[in-house]
Amino acid sequence: MDQYSILGRIGEGAHGIVFKAKHIETGETVALKKVALRKLEDGIPNQALREIKALQEIEDNQYVVKLKDVFPHGTGFVLVFEYMLSDLSEVIRNSQNPLTESQVKGYMMMLLKGVAFCHENSIMHRDLKPANLLISSTGHLKIADFGLARLFSNEGDRLYSHQVATRWYRAPELLYGARKYDEGVDLWAVGCIFGELLNNSPLFPGENDIEQLCCVLRVLGTPNQRVWPEITELPDYNKITFKENPPIPLEEIVPDTSPQAVDLLKKFLVYPSKQRISAKEALLHPYFFTDPLPAHHSELPIPQRGGKYSRQRIQPPHEFSVDRPLEESLVDPSLLQWHT
Amino acid sequence: MYHNSSQKKFWTFDKEATLEQMRYEANTTFRSKILTSGKPGVNESIFLDPREEKVLFRHYEKRLLDFCTIFKPAMPKSVVGTACMYFRRFYMNNSLMEYHPRIIMLTCAYLACKTDEFNVSSGQFVGNLQESSAGQERVLEQILEYELLLIQQLNFHLVVHTPYRPMEGFLIDLKTRYPLLENPEMLRKSADDFLNRAAMTDAGLLFSPSQIALTAVLNSAARAGLNMETYLTECMGLKDDKETLSKMYDSMRRITSLIKEYEMPKQEEVNVCKQKLDRIHAEFVTNTNLKRKRGYEDDDHVVKKPLVTEEAEWTDEDLEFL
Repeated sequence: MDQYSILGRIGEGAHGIVFKAKHIETGETVALKKVALRKLEDGIPNQALREIKALQEIEDNQYVVKLKDVFPHGTGFVLVFEYMLSDLSEVIRNSQNPLTESQVKGYMMMLLKGVAFCHENSIMHRDLKPANLLISSTGHLKIADFGLARLFSNEGDRLYSHQVATRWYRAPELLYGARKYDEGVDLWAVGCIFGELLNNSPLFPGENDIEQLCCVLRVLGTPNQRVWPEITELPDYNKITFKENPPIPLEEIVPDTSPQAVDLLKKFLVYPSKQRISAKEALLHPYFFTDPLPAHHSELPIPQRGGKYSRQRIQPPHEFSVDRPLEESLVDPSLLQWHT
Repeated sequence: MYHNSSQKKFWTFDKEATLEQMRYEANTTFRSKILTSGKPGVNESIFLDPREEKVLFRHYEKRLLDFCTIFKPAMPKSVVGTACMYFRRFYMNNSLMEYHPRIIMLTCAYLACKTDEFNVSSGQFVGNLQESSAGQERVLEQILEYELLLIQQLNFHLVVHTPYRPMEGFLIDLKTRYPLLENPEMLRKSADDFLNRAAMTDAGLLFSPSQIALTAVLNSAARAGLNMETYLTECMGLKDDKETLSKMYDSMRRITSLIKEYEMPKQEEVNVCKQKLDRIHAEFVTNTNLKRKRGYEDDDHVVKKPLVTEEAEWTDEDLEFL
């Protein structure tokens, strides 16, 4: 701990306080997340263990917040993360004007790259929401808070908790109490975040779990076996019935949006999890290749913690590598089948 | 994925001699610490030598396995495998004389339940000890005290890849791509047995989980009098890659010999070593640094509580759960 000098408090998480601090040796600003262990009858909380597990096993990725170090401290331990200025919920809240289409594309592209990376590494985040998407001083978006992340495997019989994900971003199968689910829960959340960026307000702002389901059903229509065959197997399917209700075209939910944006949104917000477009495939959607093109991170707003925009931006050096093999920049043609 | 895991990067070693050397060093470090402490009555003869440490290590490892096997609700194999691997990794850098294996083994099992998402409450966990409820509480208190030390000694590398999943993979592969074998399921029992025995050796610190799993499958086939060489040459496409093939055979031979060489320590020997160990712990080791200091020094909102008074130490007899 004596390697760091505390600069201030950033916030309080479920299991401890987050501090802004400076690494004395390098002068680097970091975020310290303290996990205290006192008075916890089950010892080190699962959330902290999951976070360490997920972040220790994946290699560095530009779109995932980096765990720089873990060290014991007092009765607990401290997780050291790279310091991030803000998060996407603040960006949405503080933007007087809705984000431009190009900016939305920029955020979506970074979000999808991060999600694709997690899923390739067999990690489902399970709690994607604007507040967990941190924004760096260079305008980069990085996925954070792996406290609910799970390494997934197709082991079959293991059951997961359905009480994951913040309500507004919770996939319909979770709302119906599913105990077996997959990365699709993250893709649903991505769809919700996408809608929120387009509209500048949350897509499904349910006040409680039942109302949450109502919000989703109102837009997507009452699900039936025809559109969602697996629904009858979900634990809470028979507990609640809703009035038959046709879907509302998404064009009406996100008005003034380009047809391509609506088309991509539709591919995330579908009932059967397996039918949701994967992050990797979504990145190849025409949406990202039509004018206006995704904004460069330097064209994105950089809010300061607690509001107020800063116009000052540090331009990071753009790195190109001539040594990078050409085939790495090629696209797998099978991923394009969605868009033909 | 194993190939970019912390297990491959930090916990897979090149050869057995490296492991022996590390254990030898842990043993020496502890000895010299006590010898230089100037405590009266210390001489070389009271310590466990590396061989004796191994005897006790195996004894407690077996107990750990037995504890996990009869655990209620039934513990998934991957949890058991993770617990065993934690136990092994912990004593790569620590002497048994420093930290008593009796509590470390339970802490390993407890932590493995959590990291491998086998959700049992702490009460349920110690409920598996044949103990009075006061005794269970005492054990739990100790487990929680050692939990932080454990994850620290594991270097916060908590994900363990066990050979159980790759073995399922091989069985599926055999069913779909290797028609020469009529009923791959018949290999399961003896392969499973092989993996359980492998868990009690250093195999997991020297080889990848899939190598161990493949050895288990081929070994099981050999026992049933089946030759599966064509699976390697044809299905795995190693026919023309003599070098990889011979390396693979070499690894498999080494894994098999690790298992063959394993010997359960004799009870008399265990008893002698245990007496030594308990004496060392009683006289020279006070893990006061582990007594939970309540609250951070720099968190002013934490109400400082007085330290708990020394609990009565529990002994192996409290642990007679078998």
